[in-house]
Amino acid sequence: MSETNNTVSKKLAKLSELVAWFESDEFVLEQAVERFHEAQKLADEIEGDLATLKNDIVVLKKKFDED
Amino acid sequence: MENLVVSVSDAIELINQTLDYAFPTLVIEGEVASFKVNQGKFVFFDIKDDGGTLGCFMMVFQLRQPVEDGMRVRVVVSPKVTNWGKFSLTVRDIQPVGEGSLKRAFELLKEKLDKEGLFVPERKRTLPAFPERIAVISSTQAAGYADFVRLLNERWGGVQVDVAHVQVQGIEAPKQIIRALQYFNEQENLPEIIVIVRGGGSADDLAAFNDEPLVRAIAASRVPTVVGVGHEVDESLADMAADVRAATPSHAAQLIVPDKHDVLRGARHDVMRVANVVYRATDELSNTIRRLLTGAIDAFDERFGRVSELLATSRTVLEAYDPQAVLARGYAIIRGTAKVGGTIEVEQAKRYITAEVTDVRDK
Repeated sequence: MSETNNTVSKKLAKLSELVAWFESDEFVLEQAVERFHEAQKLADEIEGDLATLKNDIVVLKKKFDED
Repeated sequence: MENLVVSVSDAIELINQTLDYAFPTLVIEGEVASFKVNQGKFVFFDIKDDGGTLGCFMMVFQLRQPVEDGMRVRVVVSPKVTNWGKFSLTVRDIQPVGEGSLKRAFELLKEKLDKEGLFVPERKRTLPAFPERIAVISSTQAAGYADFVRLLNERWGGVQVDVAHVQVQGIEAPKQIIRALQYFNEQENLPEIIVIVRGGGSADDLAAFNDEPLVRAIAASRVPTVVGVGHEVDESLADMAADVRAATPSHAAQLIVPDKHDVLRGARHDVMRVANVVYRATDELSNTIRRLLTGAIDAFDERFGRVSELLATSRTVLEAYDPQAVLARGYAIIRGTAKVGGTIEVEQAKRYITAEVTDVRDK
């Protein structure tokens, strides 16, 4: 399992959560700037992760021509 | 050999050994005639062409696609003489060939499996948005596989991809694909998706994906399946049984993983959207403050005006009572006791006068 991919999906989920807060009734301007910076940092991190992530492709040695 | 005398049974055995040695396997193509199933287990039919006819025998469970009279088929057989002296072909595999036969077999099997509910939308499962482990069943030498891998790598990363290399056409293909499906379904750590891909080809090439046991294995998979076989126009029963049908191998990659450029654009868009929320909230707050300040200034101005006015009035009144103003108008202030012979002081605007009282009388 790829930890990095897992991290990206978690970061994307966290970003969605942050965005939802901005559009919810819980939004207060006092916390908005801090949360905005957090969202910006997450987007930067996601960009970095996506630029470096590689798939790990393994062709199995197992043969399937016999039971 | 002329002196060799053998029993009938030995003769049959000898002939069969010779046949087995000479033709361990024969692949014959021809038209099916007199197809029948006895006791629900035994299949008998003839395979024929313009020049001859041969009897065939097989078990019903070996039938991987529907067969009926008039269908053109390719059979993999072992020739044999039965104990009753009848020459027969024992069929190991049978496949319809040619467009007409393939189409007919496809329609018959589709109807059968459709009735069983293998293709209903309710059976379809959704795929995870960001898969971390996928299994691929394909021929690693096929162009379709290369297209799939290229697009997968272009679109997304960080995925563990286990690839089962199998034949994707021919009589052996369905069996190998089924074994690979079983292998992935028996893993302790199951993949999140099993993808079966193969590039385009003729109807004969793609016939493996209309194999009944394979279609059933796809439908029975514990792991959600994606099948991308052939081109956009190609339709197979494997496609229909899969949880997700991809038009091509490249399309399969598009359905399995998101495009990182789209994801990144989305993340940036989200940040811009929340920035706008902050700007809007800041604007609203500053407008409120401006409105409150303007109100306070207006209230102050109004109160200040009223006080100024009151002050001016008070000043006028005060000025009217100012003793100096009265003196300036010619009046005088007299201090002292008014009795004859006494002294009084007279204050005028610009001087003081001391005077003696010479007369005091009532008015």
